[in-house]
Amino acid sequence: MDILKVNSIVKRFGDFEAVSNVTFSVEQGTVFGLLGPNGAGKTTTIRMMTNILKPDEGEVSLFGEKVGSLQQNRIGYLPEERGLYKKIKVIDQLIYFGQLKGMSRSDAQSEARKWLKKLDAETWETKKIQELSKGMQQKVQFITTILHNPDLLILDEPFSGFDPINTEIIKKIISDLKSEGKTIILSTHIMEQVEQLCDHICLIDKGKMILSGMVREIKKNYGRDTILMEWDGDDLFLNEFSNIKYINRSNNRAEFRITDGLTPMLILQKASQKNNIYKFELAEPSLNEIFIDVVTKQGVDNES
Amino acid sequence: MNPKGSTSKIKTIIVHEYLTKVKTKGFIIATILGPLLLLAVIFIPILVTMLGADSTERKIAIVDYTEKLGKEIVNSDTSKYFLTNYSPETLRKEVLSGKLDGYLVIPKDFLKRGEADVYTMGGGGIGFLNTLESNVREVARKERLREAGVDLSVINLVEEGVDINTQKITKEGTEKDYAEAYAVVGYVFGFIIYTLMLLYGSFVSRGVIEEKANRIIEVIASSARPFEIMMGKVIGIGCVGLTQVLFWVILSGVLLYLIAPMLGGMASDPEMLKTQMMNQNQNMVMPTSFEIPNISPWIFVAFIFYFLSGYFLYATLFAAVGSAVDQESDAQQLQMPIMLPIIIPILLVGYVISNPESTISVILSLFPLFTPILMMVRVAATPVPLWQIIASIVLMLGSFYGCVWMAARIYRVGILMYGKKPNLKDLFKWVRQSG
Repeated sequence: MDILKVNSIVKRFGDFEAVSNVTFSVEQGTVFGLLGPNGAGKTTTIRMMTNILKPDEGEVSLFGEKVGSLQQNRIGYLPEERGLYKKIKVIDQLIYFGQLKGMSRSDAQSEARKWLKKLDAETWETKKIQELSKGMQQKVQFITTILHNPDLLILDEPFSGFDPINTEIIKKIISDLKSEGKTIILSTHIMEQVEQLCDHICLIDKGKMILSGMVREIKKNYGRDTILMEWDGDDLFLNEFSNIKYINRSNNRAEFRITDGLTPMLILQKASQKNNIYKFELAEPSLNEIFIDVVTKQGVDNES
Repeated sequence: MNPKGSTSKIKTIIVHEYLTKVKTKGFIIATILGPLLLLAVIFIPILVTMLGADSTERKIAIVDYTEKLGKEIVNSDTSKYFLTNYSPETLRKEVLSGKLDGYLVIPKDFLKRGEADVYTMGGGGIGFLNTLESNVREVARKERLREAGVDLSVINLVEEGVDINTQKITKEGTEKDYAEAYAVVGYVFGFIIYTLMLLYGSFVSRGVIEEKANRIIEVIASSARPFEIMMGKVIGIGCVGLTQVLFWVILSGVLLYLIAPMLGGMASDPEMLKTQMMNQNQNMVMPTSFEIPNISPWIFVAFIFYFLSGYFLYATLFAAVGSAVDQESDAQQLQMPIMLPIIIPILLVGYVISNPESTISVILSLFPLFTPILMMVRVAATPVPLWQIIASIVLMLGSFYGCVWMAARIYRVGILMYGKKPNLKDLFKWVRQSG
């Protein structure tokens, strides 16, 4: 079931069209990646999904109804730019944000305590935000997002500011929420996380949607044109090919994409003449590659 | 989970804003110390004048060639004046050495010519000279009358002072009028409203800027409508102000209507008070009265209304300006157009107090941006016709509605706008921009 439907939304600021004709839908219980370079219109799109902004054209519907005040209570939104009241105690802050999402005071309090405990943060309850470290503040902010048990989570760069240990904890919570049937929209620049977590993605650039679909499908459509190889000896053989686009290259290791008639077999033959091959893998391109590929191509198209 | 409507959202915001502010030490201290500070501001100058007049004992020698008047002058204040036979040359040295503050030479033909000379080191203030002059004048007048053959009883009759007691006509009859006291009351109330509007207005704009600068607003805006966020803040902080004002009003009420009558009983003999004062310093300017003027409770009601309506009018505008900037230092320039109409009435208060019923005063006090201060001043200083009060209420409510509408439209756009310092023109553009 599609929990969120974004139907050809357009948003203009003066003469500038920040979002033009974006359409996608998100299925319940999945993780959806909303991707795009800086200034692509992601935040504006998110603001229209959270009812902070109204689209000039098109419509966003949530849980089968046009997005409005009532739907807001079922969304948890973690903006990219974080912020809490510096001089208010952690617990009071959590209760306030919970109440703003329609919770009763006592519910908000008990949920806040539960989550603080879960994140090993019980002792912060009566501390003011300004007394906490950056990472601790991020945890509190994350709790404000999930406190009211939202059906839809919108997380913009959720891992920024977290150390690797806490990143794992947050990832675990996200996947737990997913298995509980919650829907998650993830916006990030870190493509590894997208590959790990997302089922679907939508790539936006300059306000336009340039790619969307299931991560698996997208990668498959791109074809297995990426070669990852390791060998013993020199790398001179690689110089004989001109139709190679390197992702990584060193003396004994290379990752590259082949284009225009070049076949993996040809490379393997050339390489094995003088070297011992340790590894030769034909892989799908990484999302990172696809991202760069699509965005730069889009740029070229726009200029021509 | 129960989906809740917007009434509970705005209530949540109001309660949050209220409690966060009321619980601060600053608020508690200001609420308790505020009245003390105000009393200090009003009474310290009065005390200084009263004490100051008496504090410097001056010794004046009198060289009397009439051999009549000198004795009388000394009698008027024996601690100050004394008769002497020293030569002017010696007295001059005494003054220069600081042993003497000055000396008065009364020539033989003083009663005819009416001129005498006093020699001092200069300075000493107008108070000192006035006292000296009136002491001498009084003695001279008495003597002249006596020389003209006027009977002593007649002289005493002439000497008897006059007092004009102002009486105010009311439906019930007449009561004592305290025009001057009411003017002071008006000024004090006007000044309190002025201070509170600026203070609480800046609380609102600071709160809005804090939420925007710390990016909290994005989370709140994903939970409630911008109008609710803005009005929740304005009302919440307004309730804080109301709490403070009510505390002060109740405190004044207790003082005025419970404690003052008790004190009044003790000091009910103004004549006695007056004699005491006269003994201290004969020519001290007497305060109109030591009785506490009868302040109608309606003045307090008016005070609360004009404070609240003024606060709400300006607070919404402060919220709009706060939403437009990224940090507090950028707000100054944009705030000027809001601060000016708060400051201007304070400059006009003097005129309105002296002419509370003039056409200009009526018009100024009905101009909504000036109403909170100027109508308050008029209500305290003079019986304002009912139609004017009703007109001011209607105009205030109407302007409040207009300000809220305009501010909400600016706020809605402003809170999401970062990185550019908008000017007034931009703000008006935002007002016209659609949702």
